[in-house]
Amino acid sequence: MDYVISDEVVKTIESRGLKVDDIKMVIEAAEASKDKITDGSKFIAKKQIGDFVVYADYSEAGGKITVNSGYGHKMKIQDIVMDTADTEWTYVKNGAKVRKGHTNLSYLGATRSAPSLVDPKSGESWLEEYLAAKTIAVAESLFSQKRA
Amino acid sequence: MGYEELFPKNDLSGWHANAAKRFASPFVDNFHDRIDVDPIILSNAAVNCGFTIRDFYEKPELGIHCVGYISELFDLLPVTHWFFSLPWVRELGVTLEFKDTLPPVSTGPTITDPADVDKLEPISKENLLKGSTIPMFYGLYDYVQQNLPHTLVPISYGFDLCGAGSELVGVEEFIMWTFTEPDLAHKLVDTYVETSINGAELMADKYGFAMLIVGSVLANNDIFADEQIEQFSAKKMGHYVDQCFRRGAGPQIFYHLCGNHETSYKVFKENLVWSPFNVLHIGYQGQREFPSDLLKKEFQDVTTIMGSVDTKLMINPNPAKVYERSKESLLAGRDAKKGFILGTSCETPPYTIPGNLLAMTRAARDFGTYGTW
Repeated sequence: MDYVISDEVVKTIESRGLKVDDIKMVIEAAEASKDKITDGSKFIAKKQIGDFVVYADYSEAGGKITVNSGYGHKMKIQDIVMDTADTEWTYVKNGAKVRKGHTNLSYLGATRSAPSLVDPKSGESWLEEYLAAKTIAVAESLFSQKRA
Repeated sequence: MGYEELFPKNDLSGWHANAAKRFASPFVDNFHDRIDVDPIILSNAAVNCGFTIRDFYEKPELGIHCVGYISELFDLLPVTHWFFSLPWVRELGVTLEFKDTLPPVSTGPTITDPADVDKLEPISKENLLKGSTIPMFYGLYDYVQQNLPHTLVPISYGFDLCGAGSELVGVEEFIMWTFTEPDLAHKLVDTYVETSINGAELMADKYGFAMLIVGSVLANNDIFADEQIEQFSAKKMGHYVDQCFRRGAGPQIFYHLCGNHETSYKVFKENLVWSPFNVLHIGYQGQREFPSDLLKKEFQDVTTIMGSVDTKLMINPNPAKVYERSKESLLAGRDAKKGFILGTSCETPPYTIPGNLLAMTRAARDFGTYGTW
């Protein structure tokens, strides 16, 4: 695959403790399996790599993959708690409309909910970048401190 | 002399260390000691330290130090808070007046002509920095960082989104507009909401994160039907938290549904945003405290819940009654899946009887100790 990844995106990915190769691995798995969601202009795919759930936010045009961003979280995705409204996203693997919802996440022995994109049919959930990089990152840090 | 010189230090290795572990426990499933007690102490802390209600609100640093200090006496939360119900309105033109016996109140509406509502714009981050609310909160939390760092949780208050928005035209006018001019009523609340979101972002920019306190106070079943509460409050609260998260505030949230939510509690679950660290508190169902068993049944899968003892009981010279109500609430809610906190149905009154606070803590020790049920 041909990749286009700007220096700024590389910097963001690395600042989050991830490697560009991790993001490529997520994309390659998603392209092979169609395990990704799309809003018509870009894709989000995820893959468990070590302790992280790693996400790739990317676009595809003319046989080239442009990586828009990469992010991840340590909290493990569990079951969908509820779904409340349709979104502009579609799950490519089964064609289902992705819904806005909440998903249980577990970390250090505790299970708590967080806002998410969900496909109730397959049971899959995805966290958007703002949430993983900000809210969940702070939550993981608080969990670590409070469990200590 | 700074306010910090008026108070001995908290017992950090004894009381505070234990209270901090207890406070964390419902959120991380690491059960410690007993169920926590949070009577939402505000100006009562100042009164208990010999100051006045007006002192509490006029001197935020003094007020929050009173909260941090007096919490040790009743073995309450290890963190501090200081707030009143109308943050951000001054930047929107409202004048607040300090009172001897009340939190600051608005001197009156600033908009009398409905045509002026269309001209309203949310206050930008740049202009909030030049206003009074952000400098006040920065001053407050800088003081806590310096003098009570063990209690620091930077908080951004959206508080009563619907009620605060209504202050721009007056509460009675606003209520009428929700029927006759709903678009204008929405515009008022939305302007306040977007301003509050900018405020939360500024808090997160400075402190790295900002707990959110947001509630539904005016929008309760004594005033509105469920549908209006959903449109003018629950959906606004969900939007507020969603946008705050997108701008780096959170992840902690305290949802406070004040007053009577007899049936309107049903409209909140699907409209609110639930995070890994949130507490939901509902004051009343009709005239009685909101039942902890119903709170547990409806919300335990998404949040830590906070039960209620009626605030009227807190000024009634009958600690045994407070103890009994606390016991009822604890027995009904203590095994909630994501944790339980024993609270009062709103801020405990300024002249709360100390024996009643002790009754709540005693009940939590008797019926809320982990491993004994």
